[in-house]
Amino acid sequence: MTTSPPTDALVKIDHLTRAFTSGGGFLTPKRTMRAVDDVSLDIPRGKVTGVVGESGCGKSTLARLVLRLIDATSGKVSFDGADLAEQSPATMRHLRRRMQMVFQDPYSAIDPRYTIRRALLEPFQVQGLRQSVAEADAAVEELISMVGLSPRMVASFPHQLSGGQKQRVGIARALALRPALLVLDEPTASLDVSIQAQIIDLLEKLKVDLGLTYLFISHDLSLVRYFCDRVVVMYLGRVMEILPSADVAPRHHYAHALLASNFEPDPTRRKVITMLGGEIPSPFATIPGCAFAARCPAATDLCRTTRPELMDIGGGHQIACHHPIE
Amino acid sequence: MALLSVRDVSISIGVIDPVEGVSFDLDKGEILGVVGESGSGKSLTAMSVMGLLPRIGGRLRTGSVVFDGMELNTMSEDGLRRLRGKRIALISQNPMTSLDPIIRIGAQIDQVSTLHLGLNAAAAKARSLDLIAQLRIPEPEQIHRAYPHQLSGGMKQRIVIAMALAADPDLIVADEPTTALDVTIQAQIIQIMVDLVRDRGLALMLITHDMGVVAQACDRVVVLYAGRVAETNTVEAIFADPQHPYTRELIRCIPRHGQAPGSLKGIPGMVPSVMDYPGGCRFHPRCTQAIDICKALLPVLEAKTTGFAACHLSEARVQ
Repeated sequence: MTTSPPTDALVKIDHLTRAFTSGGGFLTPKRTMRAVDDVSLDIPRGKVTGVVGESGCGKSTLARLVLRLIDATSGKVSFDGADLAEQSPATMRHLRRRMQMVFQDPYSAIDPRYTIRRALLEPFQVQGLRQSVAEADAAVEELISMVGLSPRMVASFPHQLSGGQKQRVGIARALALRPALLVLDEPTASLDVSIQAQIIDLLEKLKVDLGLTYLFISHDLSLVRYFCDRVVVMYLGRVMEILPSADVAPRHHYAHALLASNFEPDPTRRKVITMLGGEIPSPFATIPGCAFAARCPAATDLCRTTRPELMDIGGGHQIACHHPIE
Repeated sequence: MALLSVRDVSISIGVIDPVEGVSFDLDKGEILGVVGESGSGKSLTAMSVMGLLPRIGGRLRTGSVVFDGMELNTMSEDGLRRLRGKRIALISQNPMTSLDPIIRIGAQIDQVSTLHLGLNAAAAKARSLDLIAQLRIPEPEQIHRAYPHQLSGGMKQRIVIAMALAADPDLIVADEPTTALDVTIQAQIIQIMVDLVRDRGLALMLITHDMGVVAQACDRVVVLYAGRVAETNTVEAIFADPQHPYTRELIRCIPRHGQAPGSLKGIPGMVPSVMDYPGGCRFHPRCTQAIDICKALLPVLEAKTTGFAACHLSEARVQ
């Protein structure tokens, strides 16, 4: 893993915000939460960018914004130089061939009434790509072998497959249209560890063989540190820290706490758990300063009143903190 | 004599036999990790310790579960009911399986000590407030009045732990107590549970799929695979010198910091379904070291250099 700053970005995210409102009816006051709050980030070509954070940090919303599955409230996402918000439906549909998603739950990502063959051919039909039977056969065979499944499985239905096999089908479907970018939203979170490791191994191979770029969303810090070239730590919709490589020690207090909470599979290296004060604030709360200030051991009045900007502290290491760990 | 002694337990549900020949002991002041992947039988084993198998249509086909000298397998439902909640407490993965959504938190904790310890309302409330504070929950009075939906997942799980402790049990069975929680909250809950066990001399049976949690919290470990014990050992030996190939592979599936890219491999194949366990050792189709005898003969749990493992390979070969 090198620490060279990213030069060639496939995706550029610029001051991206997505707000959701609830209420606003007759009886309930309107409330707004910023699921993604002023996020700027590059996704370098051919690399794995990991986004890690706890539930409610906005990592899945960010994934959906990058693919324009939902629209941004403000800010911009450009894919290979094209501003996604400005694309017509026709060009957007064309662009979607190059950006695909693998979902957390392989059980609901595939239509239970479709055979695996039909599920794998669905992306071509959605894109209006006509295929002869021979072409379809060849495409299915190539995809199924690419993800390490037996060609005999193409006639099976999803319920006949194990969770790991279904996730392989989910990956094959995402690869059908030869994308440049794969957004992986917790692709192994519902799998057993022995299967999780198989899927990560497969994703590593595919990345090299097909020259893919990954945006990898996860709550599992040890997995992110193993798999990703860069690590983005999010908390309450905001980017707290961007580590240019997994070897760099975090200097943000939240990123540090996240790392310290991560148990290692080694009883000789047990963690001393320092209790973070407080709870994750409600996403509807308006926080003027740093989002983590209420739980941070180093917070001062400055942190509670002024939001720290994400600053580069050298070598692509970015941090949004008034009092970083030395 | 151990507080809990599980001997050669086999569980049947209808025509399937999901758990076979599971044995382990658990002493006071000890944390035993029961670890395995989905379908390994860890939750069923927990239910057998709680005497809850009949509730899900299961039964103990063979074996015995002895708690503090009493055989639970032959105990009447009345007898079991007096033990459950009082001397053996359960913490499940989802706190809402233990909490009633329309009753205030305080009333639910109070109930445990009025029922099992015979305390009056005032004494029960004082005890609940004390327990809430011990679980490092701020503003116990306010929480005592709250409803479950007003609390976060981590707070609810702490309340369930408070309820489990309310009757001063000897044994706590915790079935994946932190799996549904975020990592920073998981770390805190595990820390709280470890401290409580140490302070009070409780016995804790901690069921988990997470080898990180095992390494952090447990004293001894039982590794289950496809309904059988693969290995049982001290936590140090499980990680430093695993005696069963499955244990070794399972530990290798967890990425470590600084691990070279491309070196995480997983275990080939998948956990077999209870409907078609392979003959011989149930791990042999996935085992890279399997020899002929592994396909033919089911290995029994036997003493190894350290601990016990059910593997035909002599120690020199397990690597």
